[in-house]
Amino acid sequence: MISFIVFFTFAAIAVIFALVVVLHRNAVVGALSLVACFFALAVMYVLLEAPFLAVLQIIIYAGAIMVLFLFVIMLLNLQHREEPATRPIQQFLGYAGSAFFGIALVYYLAKYAVLQAPSTPFLSDARRVGVTLFQAYVFPFEAVSILLLAAIVGALVLSGRSTAVSS
Amino acid sequence: MSQIPTHWFLILSAVLFAIGVCGVLTRKNGITIFMCIELMVNAVNLTFVAYARQFHQMHGLIFVFFIMAIAAAEAAVGLAIFISLFHHRETIDVDEANLMRW
Repeated sequence: MISFIVFFTFAAIAVIFALVVVLHRNAVVGALSLVACFFALAVMYVLLEAPFLAVLQIIIYAGAIMVLFLFVIMLLNLQHREEPATRPIQQFLGYAGSAFFGIALVYYLAKYAVLQAPSTPFLSDARRVGVTLFQAYVFPFEAVSILLLAAIVGALVLSGRSTAVSS
Repeated sequence: MSQIPTHWFLILSAVLFAIGVCGVLTRKNGITIFMCIELMVNAVNLTFVAYARQFHQMHGLIFVFFIMAIAAAEAAVGLAIFISLFHHRETIDVDEANLMRW
């Protein structure tokens, strides 16, 4: 019973803050709302018996990635700049299309993907995640480390002022 | 502790994904569009974890791990692109970034 209350509370929090991200004109408010949404999703991971991923979600997403977003928003200093209004036809098509997409997705999930929770608990602590990661997924793990290195170099090259080409 | 049915998580994930799609389609601020993409990535992560619990597979959780790493790389490069765009054009409105469009 408790877990149902927790699920609905944090599902509502996640959806409301996601809507704030989409609808609010201020990017800083959007970024902070996204942090709240990620915290609610971390609670979902705890309910799904994946505490290790819940902690990773908070550390990597809410901690690292969103702080990067906030830094860039502050760095660009967009506060006094008004975001231009979207064209009405684009706005209408965007809302209608995504609403149709979401309703169709929810309808078919509720109709065809009804899955009761497994009877036996699924324990996925850090030890089991680590053993799987370093036995079956060693090569992708190393590939991701190279990808992150490439991303660091790419970010430095792209954001460096010295390489700026005058347009 | 009673277990929550898996399809409720799938429905929550679908709703969050649709909200992210709405943001990408209707907003013009590049950083906000980027945040909506992160929202969609997180919705997919929730689906992965829900199915991992349903079928007692560790592979779904490992996929979420890799998706988080790749999202970090994507955020770093994407935000660097926006900083570069802001240096050149004094805006991050994606409609203004049309150098390669026409």
